[in-house]
Amino acid sequence: MPGTFSPLEGERLSGNFHMRPLNGELGFGLILLALCSAVAVLAPVLAPYDPRAFSGQPLERPSRAHPLGTNDVGQDILSELIYGARVSLTVALAAGAGTVLLGLLVGGMAGYAGGWLDQALMRLVDGMLSLPRLPLLILFATFLGSGLPQTIAVISFLFWPTTARVVRAQVQSVRQRGYVRMARQFGASHLYVFLRHILPAIGPLIAYGLVTSAGQAVAMEAGLAFLGLGDPLVKSWGLMMRFALNLPGLFLTDRWLWWLLPPALCVTLLILALALMGIGLEQNLNPRLARR
Amino acid sequence: MMLMVQDLRVTFPLDGKTGLRAVDGVSFDLAPGTSLGIVGETGAGKTTIARALLGLHPPGCIQGSIRLDGRELVGLSEEAWRAIRWRRIALVPQSVGTALDPVYRVGDQIAEPLRYHLGLSPAEAWGRSLELARRVGLEPRHLRAYPHQLSGGEKQRALLAMALSCAPDVLVLDEPTSGQDMLSRARLLDLLDALRREGGMGLLVISHDLAAVARLTERVAVLYAGQLVEVGPTAEVFQDPRHPYTWGLLHAYPDMSTARDLRGIRGAPPDPANPPPGCRFHPRCTQAIDRCRREEPPLREIGGRWIACHLGGLQTLLRAEGLRKTFSVDGGEPEERVEAVREATLDIREGEVVALVGETGSGKTTLGQMLVGLLPPDGGRVVLEGRELTAARGKERRAMMSRIQLIPQDPFDAVSPRLTVAEMVREPLDIQGIGTPEEREAKVRQALRTVGLPASPDFLARRAHELSGGQLQRVVLARALVLEPKLIVADEPVSMLDPSEQARVINLLKEIQTERGLALLLISHDLALVRKIADRILVMHRGQIVEEGPGNRIVTRPEHEHTRMLLEAAPRLG
Repeated sequence: MPGTFSPLEGERLSGNFHMRPLNGELGFGLILLALCSAVAVLAPVLAPYDPRAFSGQPLERPSRAHPLGTNDVGQDILSELIYGARVSLTVALAAGAGTVLLGLLVGGMAGYAGGWLDQALMRLVDGMLSLPRLPLLILFATFLGSGLPQTIAVISFLFWPTTARVVRAQVQSVRQRGYVRMARQFGASHLYVFLRHILPAIGPLIAYGLVTSAGQAVAMEAGLAFLGLGDPLVKSWGLMMRFALNLPGLFLTDRWLWWLLPPALCVTLLILALALMGIGLEQNLNPRLARR
Repeated sequence: MMLMVQDLRVTFPLDGKTGLRAVDGVSFDLAPGTSLGIVGETGAGKTTIARALLGLHPPGCIQGSIRLDGRELVGLSEEAWRAIRWRRIALVPQSVGTALDPVYRVGDQIAEPLRYHLGLSPAEAWGRSLELARRVGLEPRHLRAYPHQLSGGEKQRALLAMALSCAPDVLVLDEPTSGQDMLSRARLLDLLDALRREGGMGLLVISHDLAAVARLTERVAVLYAGQLVEVGPTAEVFQDPRHPYTWGLLHAYPDMSTARDLRGIRGAPPDPANPPPGCRFHPRCTQAIDRCRREEPPLREIGGRWIACHLGGLQTLLRAEGLRKTFSVDGGEPEERVEAVREATLDIREGEVVALVGETGSGKTTLGQMLVGLLPPDGGRVVLEGRELTAARGKERRAMMSRIQLIPQDPFDAVSPRLTVAEMVREPLDIQGIGTPEEREAKVRQALRTVGLPASPDFLARRAHELSGGQLQRVVLARALVLEPKLIVADEPVSMLDPSEQARVINLLKEIQTERGLALLLISHDLALVRKIADRILVMHRGQIVEEGPGNRIVTRPEHEHTRMLLEAAPRLG
């Protein structure tokens, strides 16, 4: 019967949906992330000591004063862990946003303009994607020096092409929608069409891109720090693990249990939170996934 | 030149000071053996002209000049008029019932002018009466009858016989066919046509019966509010009316050869005591400009036609020349290209309803999208109100875009699922930057009411998925109307709706088109539907316009093979 089909079917499949109730993955991910964020924000309140202060003897075992003991120079490990959340979240947010912004810019332009610009930008993306990332990351980090801003820039620069590709495909499909073309018919400028119609239509995709990029960024930052390519003055979870592993004979005692394991667990949990959110968002984007 | 009327003005005193000017500056001429029709709506001043030609108005009412063979008739004494009436200029009056004296036999009344004007004896006069009666198709028994014993058609013939009795040079017929049934009307027209062909006499036919005028006259003058707006050869004027009023009048006239529904001219004729300033037609005209409101347009010759219009008559609103569009199949070889539109040329005039019909894949939608500027053509150009749409950029483009709107086929695709009804309908106003937020809200409400939707806060806050297809198509229509466009291109606007909703939306579209005086290009595959409302039909086949013509002609006498196929495929019940 004409007029009785669901008008939203096409919209959902083209990645352009109405917010549905939270699903389990998204909800659990959000809780974990919120927990992590709370710790980061409330770090000065929660941490028993200044993480840089030599608050105890080196290599103390967990005690009432130092629940996770102290490191090799006598700093409180729990305080380090709590303040480390700030670093990881900053990187997650900044590098995630950087990746998405670059991807949105390039993918959006390519998808909206089409033609030779699309071709040129997409060949660039192909080129970027074919490069091996980890060696490049190490190379850049080495040359640019080790600082948090540099780390964020390098991660953003290496990860935007994936986002750009997805954004382009989506923009291309949304651009063909009647209401987007009709806006041009009312005399709208391209900028208006992009901001008013295209951007909201790909909004969920951007959220998804942000979450997954953030997850990757956390892992990358931890990896770089672990390799000693991070900022040695900013104690991230990765750097904590590096220092722990630097201690000769770490595994000879049970010291790794309170020094190495907690930062490793934290990194894992944060990445897990972001990954779960990504999965949840993806199910919203594509209802066919949820039925499996 | 036998009869020459120049700058005729007839003013009836109303209350001492002011006057009612029924005829205002009318000029025409009539040569022996020719015929002229004067057409117009009731109250336009047609009968006033007829009576002026016979000197039947009180002296002092008439200004200007009426010359018969060079002799000025205006200002003649009643005595002098008597010598002219019947013998030189005769009138068949409109009101048949009162024109004959009920106490005399019809034959005596026909004989009377013969005796009085020509001085014939009673026997000679009776003989001539019989002859005249035969000529107009009456039998001797009719002459012996009293008027009340005759039918309307017979009385009309008797009056005609009277008018012909003195062999006048000019015969004025005032509404010769009014009040007659179709058969006696047809017989009368045959008779009058035969009289006309006998020649010698100048025939002036005053009528709102356009078919009668078409049959009896060579030239026609169109009268509106006491002024002539268009004069030209009858066949040409009726075939291709140039003045917006003539156009509207012809479209309001019921015609057996047209399947289209009747359409009135929007608004009402002006009050003759208080005519509007400037062009008298401007309040009802769809193309009126500022000048029309201030200046009275003179009747001037434009391309073999006399037209009183500042714009030179009906304007071409949109013109497409040689439009081409080729789509390449993605990654395909050059020979795999699809020529969606090939050299399409078309005109749409102000206030006109044009239908573009053709089967699926004939390139209709592509052509429509190029016309509204949604799709850049590969070749050719689109000219909107004299400016090239295809070349416009920036602000100019934005301004032109507000003049022309598209109603797409799929209403669900045409609105954003994220916007509320209020936001959807307001969007064009936001883009064009028209008015304050409050004014925009008001316009949105008004547009929604125009299309028969509620403007309640609840409805304004709804989103696309909460509306039915018909409601959504109305929302799209309202959105197209807020910018007050001159042209709406509707691409299969009802094909996704159920039949009763289809009828409602089409009627609504038609109503709005008439009321707002906008032009409509209706793209459809459904000939049965478009013939109801289209003035002109274009048939498209494989990217080309293969046939073009008035709706009735296309439907009744299709010329192109493909048109015939479409007609045969049109749905029929039973």
